[in-house]
Amino acid sequence: MIFIIGGSYQGKTDFAVNKFGLSPDEITEGSAPYDKLISAKCIRHFEDFVSSAAVRNEDPLKLTEKLLSDNPDVIIIMTEIGCGIIPIEKSQRIYRELVGKTGCLIAGLAEKVIRITCGIPAVIKGETI
Amino acid sequence: MFILISGGCKNGKSAIAEQIICSGNSERFYIATMQPFGKEAEIAIKRHRKMRLGRNFNTIEKYTDIGEIDLPDKCSVLLECIGNLCANEMFSAGCSTPEEKILRDIKKIIAKTEIFIAVTSHVGSDGIIYPKETMKYAESLGRLNSALADTADIVIEAVFGIPIILKGELPECIY
Repeated sequence: MIFIIGGSYQGKTDFAVNKFGLSPDEITEGSAPYDKLISAKCIRHFEDFVSSAAVRNEDPLKLTEKLLSDNPDVIIIMTEIGCGIIPIEKSQRIYRELVGKTGCLIAGLAEKVIRITCGIPAVIKGETI
Repeated sequence: MFILISGGCKNGKSAIAEQIICSGNSERFYIATMQPFGKEAEIAIKRHRKMRLGRNFNTIEKYTDIGEIDLPDKCSVLLECIGNLCANEMFSAGCSTPEEKILRDIKKIIAKTEIFIAVTSHVGSDGIIYPKETMKYAESLGRLNSALADTADIVIEAVFGIPIILKGELPECIY
């Protein structure tokens, strides 16, 4: 499993497409139904998977663990969102914390973690690309 | 030795800090700067207490003026977190530009310690324009973090639990 992270609009999806030769239909949105995610080659906006699980009152961490055992070779793309002022809105605070915790879980299990900044990849876990 | 650990929310900053500090044998102190206001702060404090359980930390709760803390020579200190401390100095103690004061206080702690680890937050990357006071806080914390990084021997950014070295060399205990 490969985990691609970075801020918004840093070129994470473009990097995944070019590096792993993905076609548009091989990229599934994190908000898609679970059965679609099981067969996805690449899931992007995984932060939306976290928020939609939370909205359904499910534990995103447990659900992520299950998804990664159902689809162990998936490429996951997730936006880093925890580097701002603590939001006033409680649901946004919870969302931000859950994305952080889920990111730690995925990074711990991933064979490779790549962080994209201004389109430039930095491998922060695993062998270089 | 002064190590600064930064990173986003719930990115494993404390876990890395505790791993480093627990690899040494000197007497351990934990300076907690979060004021127990409200349910969420209580939960966060409980979670951190649980993480430290059985690791022989002497916990000191000090929300401002950390230079006043009486510490024995050559101890280890973990401070969490600079973000709270900066907010407390600004909004509870009314110090509008707390950077120099906090830096001075921290230098007093560094002089007493074999190893001092400060956990801080990275808050300037959400692109949102906040009310003036909040922007002033983000500015002060940003400037303070830069000054601390300048003083630090090692600076680490925690990214989803992965330690990324920004200055110095990664301590052996976290390889």
